[in-house]
Amino acid sequence: MPPWSDFEPFIVSGLALGGVYALSGVGLVVLYRATGVLYLAFGAVGAMGALIAWSLGRENVPGWLTWLVCIAAAAVITLGYGLIFGPALAKRDPLVKAVATIGLTLILYGLMDLLWTSSGGQARSESLPTDNGGFSIGQIQVDWTQVIALAAGVVITVGTGVFLRYTKLGTAMRAMANDREITATLGVPVRKVEAAAWLGCGVLAGVAGLLLADLAALDATTLTFLVISSLAAVLIARLRSITLTFAAAILIGLLHDLLTPITALSNYQNMTPFVLAAAGLLVMSRRRVMTQSREEA
Amino acid sequence: MRAQMPRAPRAVQARRTIVLAAAIAIAAAGCSSSSSSSSTTGTSTSTATSTATSTASAPASTSAVSTSQCGTKPGAAATGTPIALGAIVTNQPGTSFTDIPNMANAYFACVNANGGINGHPIKLYIETEQTNPAQIAADAKQLVQTDHVVGIVGNTSIIECSVDSSYWQKLGYDIIDSGIAPECYSTPNSAAVNMGPRYSSDGAVQYALSQHVNKIVFDQSNVPGTGYIAAGPAALAKAANVPIVQLTENVPISDADSVAIKEVDDAGPNGAVVLNFTPPEALVILQAAQKLGLEDRVKLWGCSTPCNTDFLAQSLGPKWNNKLFVNAELLPPDVTNTTTMNLYKAILKQYGSAVSGGIGSFSQMGFTEAEIAVHALDSVTGAYTVQSVNAAFQAVSNFNTGMLCQLWSYGSYSLHIPNNDDSTVTPDNGKMVTAQGCTQISSVDPQIAQYRSLAGTAAAAPAS
Amino acid sequence: MGADLGLRSTAGRQTSRRRPGRPQLIRAAVITVLLLFVLFGFPQLLSLYYIDTMTQVAVYSMVTLALGVLVGRVGLVSLGQVAVLAIGAWVAARLLFATAQPYPVILLEAGLITMVAGMVTGLPALRLRGLYLALITLMLAGAITVVLATVNFPNGGHGFLGYNGSLVHIPPIRRPSVAGSDPAYFRYAVIVAILMFLLVLAHTKTKPGRAWAAIRQSEPAALAAGINTTLYKLWALALASFITGVAGGVLAGAVHYLYSIGFPTQDSITLLAVTLMGGVYSMWGAVVAALLYQFLPALLNNWGVSADWLTILFGLGVLQVLTTAPAGLADQVPKDLARLARLLSRLLGRRTPAPGKTT
Repeated sequence: MPPWSDFEPFIVSGLALGGVYALSGVGLVVLYRATGVLYLAFGAVGAMGALIAWSLGRENVPGWLTWLVCIAAAAVITLGYGLIFGPALAKRDPLVKAVATIGLTLILYGLMDLLWTSSGGQARSESLPTDNGGFSIGQIQVDWTQVIALAAGVVITVGTGVFLRYTKLGTAMRAMANDREITATLGVPVRKVEAAAWLGCGVLAGVAGLLLADLAALDATTLTFLVISSLAAVLIARLRSITLTFAAAILIGLLHDLLTPITALSNYQNMTPFVLAAAGLLVMSRRRVMTQSREEA
Repeated sequence: MRAQMPRAPRAVQARRTIVLAAAIAIAAAGCSSSSSSSSTTGTSTSTATSTATSTASAPASTSAVSTSQCGTKPGAAATGTPIALGAIVTNQPGTSFTDIPNMANAYFACVNANGGINGHPIKLYIETEQTNPAQIAADAKQLVQTDHVVGIVGNTSIIECSVDSSYWQKLGYDIIDSGIAPECYSTPNSAAVNMGPRYSSDGAVQYALSQHVNKIVFDQSNVPGTGYIAAGPAALAKAANVPIVQLTENVPISDADSVAIKEVDDAGPNGAVVLNFTPPEALVILQAAQKLGLEDRVKLWGCSTPCNTDFLAQSLGPKWNNKLFVNAELLPPDVTNTTTMNLYKAILKQYGSAVSGGIGSFSQMGFTEAEIAVHALDSVTGAYTVQSVNAAFQAVSNFNTGMLCQLWSYGSYSLHIPNNDDSTVTPDNGKMVTAQGCTQISSVDPQIAQYRSLAGTAAAAPAS
Repeated sequence: MGADLGLRSTAGRQTSRRRPGRPQLIRAAVITVLLLFVLFGFPQLLSLYYIDTMTQVAVYSMVTLALGVLVGRVGLVSLGQVAVLAIGAWVAARLLFATAQPYPVILLEAGLITMVAGMVTGLPALRLRGLYLALITLMLAGAITVVLATVNFPNGGHGFLGYNGSLVHIPPIRRPSVAGSDPAYFRYAVIVAILMFLLVLAHTKTKPGRAWAAIRQSEPAALAAGINTTLYKLWALALASFITGVAGGVLAGAVHYLYSIGFPTQDSITLLAVTLMGGVYSMWGAVVAALLYQFLPALLNNWGVSADWLTILFGLGVLQVLTTAPAGLADQVPKDLARLARLLSRLLGRRTPAPGKTT
């Protein structure tokens, strides 16, 4: 067992990784709470936005404009998907709705590889101006982008929690996610609320995509399938609690990196999210009651 | 009787539209893609993208080389029966080596426009694969049985050499390739123009050892063959009495920070971290190290050949000048002003629209393989058959490619490592410059020793 | 509610009949002729490239069959079937290198061991339902993929893992002595696939099939009716894992070399997409799905069309299936063809046959 000092630097990098997972995971849970859809295309949409931003950046479009375009692109794609397929699938099981987003993921993934071909000899990278500053914790330097990612995770967690619970629009979203028909009979302008929910989701995906492209890699495969690892945090929170998702994501990131100095286990550290999710879910579903309701118990 | 929700006609139409659209899209893609499995001269099969590395860095030379030098009869287009050659290349999201056969094809296009091979044009059939052994085996059979290729030139694949080696042996094909898998270097039927991950890592480790580091951390991507690759650096470190730590990372890397920290911690202040990754992954690790402020925490960083691209030099910035030392299997294009190098650049410019990476080791490899093939084919008298063509390939001896440190030979040995002499480069404000000239890979690596005992040591290549 | 994909299946309709009527016999005869053509005609007519491709179609038709059983018959969506295939292939490869047992024995062992593995990991997960179950299969698949990346596939080395990383020559996985050549192995694979299809047929036409249909309609109701839902769900899982394990064994012999990068997690997602497109409610759907998954890419590769277009097509297909045609292509194409036939005959002025006569 290595000495404590070996673990120290990995605490910082683990928190940063946790921030990455949290951004993605919180985004997923927020969308689920607002629309009833587990938006598995979250990563792909963000990746597409980031790649568009990258392409524009090469044409010497100013940075801030590329970020806006990234977020706008993500919002448009998500809104489009929500408006076309949302109503058609509204009455279906959450599983069906989630599998449908897999369809969107595949479409985007194929498009991205077509439009931004992999060329063996080069790589794309996206850097934000906040990369160039930072501070030191012990021997490790932390850059502002990582701080922003973590902060964004917190802000989204708190902000959307408050929004969903206390505002009229948020409450309408939650009602719609639960049962669209009944909400419609209550006089809520269903289409508008739905559009607002999807639009918000798209913006979140765009922001997350930009940050993740900087923190992880500007690579369609990495960004698209990063959701699989962040699903672990989402599952531990039973798709319900945004705060729990955030906490679980941080925990997963920390644990993942803290395993690095332990040579016997470090090869398996990528299993951390999956093992934790499986364990957490199985532990928490020990006692179950069979219900007929639409909501998964 | 099925219980259904009342279906709006709109949905049915939407369904038809989706399927129709998809069908049209595929048909359009099939039509717009300019060829079947063959790739014709110079046309691009990929949609226009903005990903091309800027080749704006002007070549050091100003001598205008005419591409017509590539052929024997400048200006005369070849019109005889084509000589069919084949190549199998990995092309999947994240890993694409298509630049290599595409550049070979560009060279062939040039030759075809300038006399061909005794008036015969060369037709290169390129099969792409996605690291699926069944697909790779099928591709080989397609090339042989349907396309009737007489030679294999330009193979670049993570596992193809392993999968198809016995097939090529059985049929008598001596392939000229850019090797990655162990079998590309350890079988009688494959000779590579590059050094491959193991020997290139040997070169990087060798340089680090020459700078008197007291520990080596060798980190590589977890793709097939890690044990084989690690054995080379392990032998070198052992002979030098320097401890070596072997690490592997699953790619694509999503957590570069902890990778960088781990490497630096293991190496210590007088150690070296040597990487063996594809350029995007290496870049991610090095950038993470820079962000964390770790680049000076070890004595030096090393990298196998994939890092040798201007793109990497540009992305990394000045902190890595004389800090990162990259093994270069081929002569550096930016500082080599020879006729062959200029011809390469000219051909790339005129015929290489399908080569998205521009000037760099990938296209250099493609050029070199095609060059060797044409040189061999020019010596064939009589019909171009599997026997005659491959006999010619095998007979290539002490050929000066103009791209390598040594003369290149095929020969009939049980293994082939014809490129075993290389230089080391380092980034210098956006370009790769030479840090150490052509140096032989040490015979401490048992495979190198075995090859040299069979083939001897090739002479250094004079500048051409 | 459960994880019903939207339409009730037609499977329940036929289980009450005991004696096959004439249409059944005709259909069986047609299928037999078709299979004979595949077994003996294909090797003569197709080039080795397509024979190799068709061998892969046979292998993956077993996998999509297993997935269809889980998704279509029981309503368990598995996002990790490729990981199960990898386990089967791993076991088969290890046994093929370590022992000299005959091939059918090895296939059986691979199937059984995979079955046990599937049941052990699946049993605790069966308490979950719908989306959670699907996601946990994804998590388990992710974990298995990571383990595979570290332990690698056996390549003739020693020890439990049978992996020697420093080999310069990797020995190929052997094939059965009667089926060494590619066309012979193709026939072998097709025969094994036929056996697996018959195995599933035997299940669906008897008690397990009825129990599964009841569970998919409504699990609480099935429970209330006295069906031991856990047992039957486990049975379905066992069957699916067994079939996938056998498919893994056949895959090992087909490719000769196995690599962990050949079984990425995202392939499970694509597999689910094509299984849905092919149709989870009919066994033809499994064949259609395998054709989409293996034959279409090979065809497009030959035409020089990028595989990315297929990815996009599969994404569109998933959306289409879920929104408008839940029974997939196997159900939709005959209906569309029938509709087209009616349209044509109307255009040609002849009397149209009675509508509604499908399948």
